[in-house]
Amino acid sequence: MSENDRNDAQFARDIFRALPTTAVPAGLEARILADFDRLAVRRPGWLGRFGERLWPGAPAWQPASILALSLAVGLMAGVFVPSPTAYSTTSDQVVTAALDSAPVMDFDKDP
Amino acid sequence: MVVDPDTDLVVRVGRGDRTAAQALMARHLPGMLALARRMLSGQAEAEDCVQEAFLKVWTHAARWQPGKAKFETWLYRVTLNQCYDRLRKKPTEPLEAAADVPDGGDSPDRGLEVAALETEVSAALADLPERQRAAILLCHYQERGNIEAAEILGISVEALESLLARGRRTLRTKLSHLRDGAV
Repeated sequence: MSENDRNDAQFARDIFRALPTTAVPAGLEARILADFDRLAVRRPGWLGRFGERLWPGAPAWQPASILALSLAVGLMAGVFVPSPTAYSTTSDQVVTAALDSAPVMDFDKDP
Repeated sequence: MVVDPDTDLVVRVGRGDRTAAQALMARHLPGMLALARRMLSGQAEAEDCVQEAFLKVWTHAARWQPGKAKFETWLYRVTLNQCYDRLRKKPTEPLEAAADVPDGGDSPDRGLEVAALETEVSAALADLPERQRAAILLCHYQERGNIEAAEILGISVEALESLLARGRRTLRTKLSHLRDGAV
């Protein structure tokens, strides 16, 4: 910092120190607290807080609609997408496998 | 991790604690109002500006994430942004400051001197570009360190120093006649 800069800085400090301090009007504090009270009345319940954790900053309808949409997609999939068991025939083809015995891997012998 | 003396209060405000809201307001309102008043040169506008800033605090406190940034830095940045918005909407009225100047205390003459000084300083500040004005006020009026002021303004320390150097030079040139008298 040059000598000139230092003098400018000192001048600025002196100017502002000579100014009176700004008092806070009581009415302003009351207005600001009234805003707080107004918002506190509208503070969300546990469901709202859960939504806030799920999707911070979003209005409640956003997480709610996404939840509803995913539920609907799940239900549609459950109803309309055929499951693999739907392809099984009624013929008596039963395959059994013993899960508690070691598999036989002897390829020389016929089963 | 930023050590923030306001974290506890902000968290409590987020839970709807009115006492914490009062304490947070008592801690920051005088500084915010003083800054806004010098930025805008008008008491009523400055009051509206800090009221808007606190409204943002009440609205966002529940989502405040401690450790990310210092609350005070965020708060003063919000206040300055409110000031910039108002400055862009409406041209400044530097002489309004004289109307609501507090008295000088000791004597009527001193009161008049202070009022005259206030008017001249307000006029000189109003002529500065808004970023220079904000930098000068943060560093020389509120006596914040350069790093903190740069964080509030969202600029580098080098950029802040450049703003300060230009702002101080202009201020000194405009107010040079006060050097041996009022100051």
